[in-house]
This record gives sequence, C-alpha cells and structure tokens, in this order.
Amino acid sequence: MTDHLLLLIAFAFFVSVVFAVLQRDEPRAQVRLGAMLFGAFVAAAVILGWLMYALPL
Amino acid sequence: MATKPAAAARPRDRTEPGLLVLLCLAAWMVPGAGHVWMGRRQKALVFFLALTSMFLIGLRLHGRIFPFDVSAPLVALAAVADLGLGLPWLLARLLDAGNGLVTAATYEYGNTFVIVAGLLNFLVILDAFDIAKGRK
Repeated sequence: MTDHLLLLIAFAFFVSVVFAVLQRDEPRAQVRLGAMLFGAFVAAAVILGWLMYALPL
Repeated sequence: MATKPAAAARPRDRTEPGLLVLLCLAAWMVPGAGHVWMGRRQKALVFFLALTSMFLIGLRLHGRIFPFDVSAPLVALAAVADLGLGLPWLLARLLDAGNGLVTAATYEYGNTFVIVAGLLNFLVILDAFDIAKGRK
C-alpha cells in the first residue's frame, strides 16, 4: 500500500465525505458537494504536483 | 398555540450545560456518538466509518501517534490533533500501536491520516454541539 496516488485519492475521499456530510443535510446535496470537493482535492494535488516538478529543489 | 411550549422545551433541555458536556465527551470518545444522541444516525454512521477508517489506515501506513512533548511545539500540536479521536486513540496507546516507522515510505502519509482524522473529529464534535444548541 505505497501507491502515492491511491493514498491521495483515499485521503481526498474520506475528507470530502466528512465535509459534505457536515455541511449539507439532504443526501443529494451531500453527494454533489462531496463529489465537487473530491474532484477539487485530486485536481489541485495533481496540478500542484506537476507545477512543483519544474522547481529545482 | 398548544404545541409551542412543547417545541420550545426540547431545545432548552438539550442545552443544559451538564448535558452539553456529556454530549461533547461522548462525541469525542466515539466519532459520531454526539450525532446519535441528537437523533442523526445516518450522519453518525458516516462519521464513525470515515474517521475510524482514516485512523486505522494511518496506523497501517506506519503513522505515529505523537507524544505530548512541549519542548517540540509541532510534535505537541500533532499530539493534540491525534487526541481528537478519543477512544480509538486511547486503544491505540494501550495496545502500543502508532509507534511510527520513520524509514517507511508511507510514514508521512500515515501521520497525515491520523492527524486529520483527529482534527475532523473536533469539527464533528462542534457540529453536534451546534445541533444541541439549536443552531443547525
């Protein structure tokens, strides 16, 4: 279980689920917000990862 | 008009300071317990499954349960975050789990899972508190 992308996706999933259930009461709204948060988490991580790839650190 | 006093009495009962302390303690000990108390069982189940899963995955990834070391402020802050999960944290301490393996590739991931699970449970406790106060 050392696949970094898989761990990133698992982390994004759990955090999105908790935030969505905290913030919304109706199941449909929870799913919509959860999916949006999950997509944003994963997309931001992948984009930032590629941006950092160019940095000479 | 006859139902008004009954409807007003329920929130007042729930906001008694002693009950609120008990509610927050229950919500801290078992993720989602505060929501069960407030009758929101589906939310409680989601919180319980998500947060305990995160905690267990964190331990499985060789994450560390940080000690309360005041001389190292970041370690102390991580320890406070870990503490947020209550009973799972206590069980892990008693079973000597969460020693952390710094050389493991997943060490930092494990720490992140454990720390964030604790911090999210603090938010869940606050949510149960808000429900009890009638704010949600």
